[in-house]
Amino acid sequence: MISLQNVTKTYKNGVTALEAVSIEIEKGEFVFVVGPSGSGKSTTLRLLLREEEPSMGEVFVAGKNVVRLSSLGGIPKLRRNIGCVFQDFKLLQDKTVFENVSFALEVIGKPKHVIDARVPEILDYVGLGDKLNNYPDELSGGEQQRVSIARACVNRPLVLLADEPTGNLDPNTSVDIMRLLDKVNKIGTTVVMATHDQAIVDAMRKRVIELDHGKVVRDQSRGVYS
Amino acid sequence: MRRIEFYFRETAAGIRRNGIMAFAAMSTAFIALFLFGLALIIAREINLVIEAVTGNVQVAVYLSDPVRPDTVTRLQTELQQLPAVASVQYENKDEACARAKKLFESNPAITENVPCEVYPASFRVTLADTAQYGQITARLSCQPDPTTHDITCSEPGVLKVLDFRDILDRLSAITRVLRNGVLFIAVVMLVSATVLVANTLRMGMFARRKEIGIMRLVGATNWRIRVPFLIEGLVEALVGAALAIITLFLVKVFVVDQLRGRIVWLPLIRNGDVLAITPWILIAAAGVAIVAGTIGIRRFLDV
Repeated sequence: MISLQNVTKTYKNGVTALEAVSIEIEKGEFVFVVGPSGSGKSTTLRLLLREEEPSMGEVFVAGKNVVRLSSLGGIPKLRRNIGCVFQDFKLLQDKTVFENVSFALEVIGKPKHVIDARVPEILDYVGLGDKLNNYPDELSGGEQQRVSIARACVNRPLVLLADEPTGNLDPNTSVDIMRLLDKVNKIGTTVVMATHDQAIVDAMRKRVIELDHGKVVRDQSRGVYS
Repeated sequence: MRRIEFYFRETAAGIRRNGIMAFAAMSTAFIALFLFGLALIIAREINLVIEAVTGNVQVAVYLSDPVRPDTVTRLQTELQQLPAVASVQYENKDEACARAKKLFESNPAITENVPCEVYPASFRVTLADTAQYGQITARLSCQPDPTTHDITCSEPGVLKVLDFRDILDRLSAITRVLRNGVLFIAVVMLVSATVLVANTLRMGMFARRKEIGIMRLVGATNWRIRVPFLIEGLVEALVGAALAIITLFLVKVFVVDQLRGRIVWLPLIRNGDVLAITPWILIAAAGVAIVAGTIGIRRFLDV
């Protein structure tokens, strides 16, 4: 599903974020990417989204070489297959929960009947079936993150990328969010989660890829944080 | 259908959110397009005056009554053979009368009271080389009359020669200066309008950078993101164009129409003239929108 082959990324300012990294992730896997700040976690996610291009090496997502994709059609199509969740939720404050999720379908041109069917369904799935008409600032952090997960999943992506999704949440809420991500994973979505959260990584016992100074220093199935 | 609805909803939201900037952009577009239209109208008005005064020829050779057909043929051939002459057109008395009627149609005092017989037949001559005008007067044995300044000729059948070169030169100089002056201001204003519209789009995109970020992230295409802003620019330019066209018609009604009839000899532009320049105003507006759109969204071109 995801394949980084000998990828090196050097930014324009000369910083090398990744150095000769090779990672293979199968369909349906749940993978933690851990490591200190600046170890290359975010760069890895940005490469998968084709927000950055690798300086060397190849990146494949769902069988496509993302470097070769055109910005006209290929990259948007790639991103429709990838859901994204962030530490800061990235919700639109002037839209309701329903509108935040439907926005993601609307801007890729889905017809109204699809939107009306899928949005309540996914919000129900993440446990917010009764908060459709609330605004983000009326929700708790955990609920906001659920909205963001709903938005990421509403188009049924093959891959879910989560960048520190529990970074702004208390431990109990974090556990709830992890249960939800696990649920999303169980229905076949490949989940890649970058995190600092030791307790969560240790509790989940999933595959752990550790980066340090842009290199893979550990790749362990059913691993722990360190 | 749904996509179109999406675009217009986004555009309307954008203009509302960005009200003052959008207003500034529209007003500048309006002033610029108004001046542009004014320049075109001035050019048309002066062309009307030139037409009225000279019939759009450089030299007119009037024939004395009664006009004999063989004289016409002979003189036309002879004039045509002169190297200074580019073309010679014969206008008979009926045609002269019809042209005068059309020219003064807003002035019934002339058209009704002057009988057709007084309009002389003439050769209307366009010169290949205006400096060689003397060839014509020499050929027709004409002399300037020291008292009336008319040029009378001894060639049989020729009444007199009218030389419009001087008037034409002066009128076209006036046209050039007036039209180019207004056009220059119009171009400066059009550039400002373009920059303002571009800036409005840019500010709109900045205000909505979070939405744009999410749109990109969930796989919206470039055009899906850009089109609402392009429509916004087009709407602003077209509102400016509509206001400019309305104002030009108002100028025609409240300024030009007030002069009509007061200056008898002066032909004035009509509604049709204003109508004829509206396509140019719309084209200029579209140009403003296209250039502004290209500049304004360039920063957001990459996915």
